[in-house]
Amino acid sequence: MAKLYPQLEPFSATSSDEWDRVKVSHLLSRAAWGGTPEQIDHFLEIGPRAAVDELLDFPDGGADLIAQNDVPDLSQIEGYPKSFADRRKLFEGKSAEERQLVQQRLNQANQQALRAIVIWWMKQMVGGQYPLHEKLVFFWHGHFTTSARDERSAWLMWQQNETLRTHAAGNFGKFVKAISRDPAMLDYLNNQQNRKAHPNENYARELMELFTLGIGNYTENDIKEVARAFTGWAHDGEGFIYRKFDHDDDAKTVFGKQGNFDGDDVLDIILQQRACATYIASRLWRFFVSDELDPPIVTGLGDLLRDNNYELRPMIRTLLASKAFYAPTNVGVQIKSPVQLVISTVRSLGVAVPDYGRLYGSLDQMGQIPLMPPNVKGWPGGRLWINTSTLFVRQNTALWLAGGEPIVSGRKLMDRANRNQKNRPNVAVESEGTPSEIVDAWIERLVQRPIDPSRREILIGSIGKKPTEESVRAMINLILSMPEYQLC
Amino acid sequence: MPTKAHGPRLKAYNRMTPSHTRRIFLQKGLTLVSAAVTVPMFIDSTVWALADPLDTKRTQQASGKDGKILVVVQMSGGNDGLNTVVPYADDAYYRARPGIGQAKDKLHKLNNYIGLHPNLAPLKAMYDDGMASVIQGVGYPNPNRSHFRSMDIWHTAQPEKETATSGWLGRYFDNTCEGQDPQEGVCIGGQAPLALKGEKTQPLSFERPENFRYNGPDKERYHDLNSSKGMDAQAQQNVKSGVATSKRPAIITPGSQLEFLTRTAMDAQVSSDKINKILNEYQTKNSYPNNEYGNGLRTIAAMIKGEMPTRVYYVSLGGFDTHANQGGRHDNLMRDFAQGVDAFWKDIKEQKNEQRVVMMCFSEFGRRVEQNASGGTDHGAAAPMFLFGPAIAKKAGIVGQHPSLTQLDNGDLKFAIDFRTVYASILENWLETPSKPILGQQFKTMPIFRT
Repeated sequence: MAKLYPQLEPFSATSSDEWDRVKVSHLLSRAAWGGTPEQIDHFLEIGPRAAVDELLDFPDGGADLIAQNDVPDLSQIEGYPKSFADRRKLFEGKSAEERQLVQQRLNQANQQALRAIVIWWMKQMVGGQYPLHEKLVFFWHGHFTTSARDERSAWLMWQQNETLRTHAAGNFGKFVKAISRDPAMLDYLNNQQNRKAHPNENYARELMELFTLGIGNYTENDIKEVARAFTGWAHDGEGFIYRKFDHDDDAKTVFGKQGNFDGDDVLDIILQQRACATYIASRLWRFFVSDELDPPIVTGLGDLLRDNNYELRPMIRTLLASKAFYAPTNVGVQIKSPVQLVISTVRSLGVAVPDYGRLYGSLDQMGQIPLMPPNVKGWPGGRLWINTSTLFVRQNTALWLAGGEPIVSGRKLMDRANRNQKNRPNVAVESEGTPSEIVDAWIERLVQRPIDPSRREILIGSIGKKPTEESVRAMINLILSMPEYQLC
Repeated sequence: MPTKAHGPRLKAYNRMTPSHTRRIFLQKGLTLVSAAVTVPMFIDSTVWALADPLDTKRTQQASGKDGKILVVVQMSGGNDGLNTVVPYADDAYYRARPGIGQAKDKLHKLNNYIGLHPNLAPLKAMYDDGMASVIQGVGYPNPNRSHFRSMDIWHTAQPEKETATSGWLGRYFDNTCEGQDPQEGVCIGGQAPLALKGEKTQPLSFERPENFRYNGPDKERYHDLNSSKGMDAQAQQNVKSGVATSKRPAIITPGSQLEFLTRTAMDAQVSSDKINKILNEYQTKNSYPNNEYGNGLRTIAAMIKGEMPTRVYYVSLGGFDTHANQGGRHDNLMRDFAQGVDAFWKDIKEQKNEQRVVMMCFSEFGRRVEQNASGGTDHGAAAPMFLFGPAIAKKAGIVGQHPSLTQLDNGDLKFAIDFRTVYASILENWLETPSKPILGQQFKTMPIFRT
């Protein structure tokens, strides 16, 4: 194996560059959903390598491996069919108009089912056993994007989430073959309509542009030929089916290779392209580290992926343990996604989500609801999360989670007076000490890195010479509303 | 591209001398400037102090006073075009709709063939005043009957692209020169519509002005923490000079995420104070429907009066998916729709802003010609659009022919006017910008506007 690029070598503490709380918090922000004080203490103790190993130690499997008794029960939703056969029965013997009404009711039940899945998922993010697993599932959801916006079946979206969960840190080659058979994906990118007589190129194009190679690493002709290889790959509402008579059995030429290829064959050819490994490495780098790509680092990570026959874990381990990951230029520079913002707020304050329904509404206003990415590119992220209206929603949502007033939504303000008192963070312990010690403790807990000295002074001034529980809470609200809090 | 009116300001951006700083800040602040602005710039605390957002005299000198405005009203769910603009002279209409057809004698007749729904009296009055245009039989090739997909097609104006990522109005903003007003559209409603999303710009949207402000306590310290006031002297020096002279951590440097966030937070506060002040002070005797749509139009009227430089406003009225027993429901929707349009235009006229505003109303599709067995109508295709405003040309009261009720496409009306020709006409002849870069091809414009 080639020598590792120096910046990809594992970080190890020195007297001038210690394994400190800032680094631990950075790891927990990026590779998890923000750390509680206990987790930070724990990782501080066990050191960087063991911390990454612990994060990566999760089972490669579906939801029942992590929460047997707690998967969303879609059968409890009124009007939601228990199986595809049940669903079909609802339509039998109905007139066109009646069928339309049935469809409308199904759509409503489907919306509820989708919501139940999203809420289940967010609960896993908040309190699940394997935060890096959830984070990777969320990453792949934005990578192999499928959106339920256009009334896509909740059942199929759940199935896809299980696929993402199973392969999140597994083998990328197997992963892309599984996703190419995933019913929700086949539906979303129109492979359902990809037939020998009328090829539909949508899946082939996005497969290469967004899922495996990146733009510029294939030709328009490759798209045509890959589309032909995927003809007849479809689903029957429940699972993958191969429609033999829709499949184009003639020879295709893909990346200069000729043969009677089917979908798996062209995926193998795509995986052989070096660009594929580099592209996947760049996507993971952007997600976990920074929008700034450092070419040798990304190439190094890509080679690692190829050398390991597309096993993801070794590459992710190297990335999260690397010197580059902890470089000062990469700490505190990522704008939190709305999901990251709300989940990490709940975790670092040690509070419960007061109302998942409202949280869903806030996420909508911030522009990110799980299962509902805006389009096949996923969420654009970075500075596009922030404008003058979303910034207020972000600040006000954090305040609400910390025990403040709920965000006003379209409905009547029933509970304006009903503040979220029981969910306030516990400040008793931190109230001990001088004003500056209290402020520093909360900055460390919430911002997790040093802040501008003048801003720190403003916070110290806010709690008074004799801090009270109330003045400390007010100071916490100020921290949650600072520009620094938008970053991790 | 409307460079002419904006030329001097563009120059000011390029020449960042101190004397310009304050003025630019005022303009920027009041523009609801978006995250997309990448001009490396920061304003020191003196400027912040000068830029009193509550000083209305100063704000009136800000840009946007004469700019043209487009207000888009989206009728979500598929409005029944045939019961909105009724072809009363065609027996086929009454044959197809024995239960839900609109009685001839109650219609507001526009000519000897079509009449407006009985609850659209205010629209008839606007039509008589030459302030309304009914564009008939609008649609697009291979109509899609899914709400989602068809709405996307109307928003992106790219029916051929399955995975379009931006909307036509978003691309309009993308195509204006950087640093120019306007930077983005404003939607009054929960989620920003795809139509307003650009590749480079994101629209603003808020459901209520109460959401467009900081809701926490201690507003004074909040303000300090979210401005250059809460910045180390070194940091202030850094961002003023544009050079990072300190490598200390936590010091805000030019172009950094923290500078960007602080700048956006400052802009947000100025805009928020301004908008909330405008809305609190806004008084009108005209009554809007008491729903999101009505409140939205009222907010828009107030923002226009408050001389916000926003060029495009967006608001939706939902509930048009009338599959069953549509009679009463559709009647109510028509009443709300008309009441909102009426109150809005009365306000705009009282403000004397009517020459600056055009309103466009559309729905993702019309409905089946034949009523269904449940006393409703199913998803259809072509439908009429409305445009309002004194800018409507004299001869544009009724545009196009009413589609035939007997020569149908799978039971649906055939379109004769592609909606993108309407967009092209609005872009070129109202917003004064070339439409081709936005719509991807050159559509023939229609003489809808006065010249």
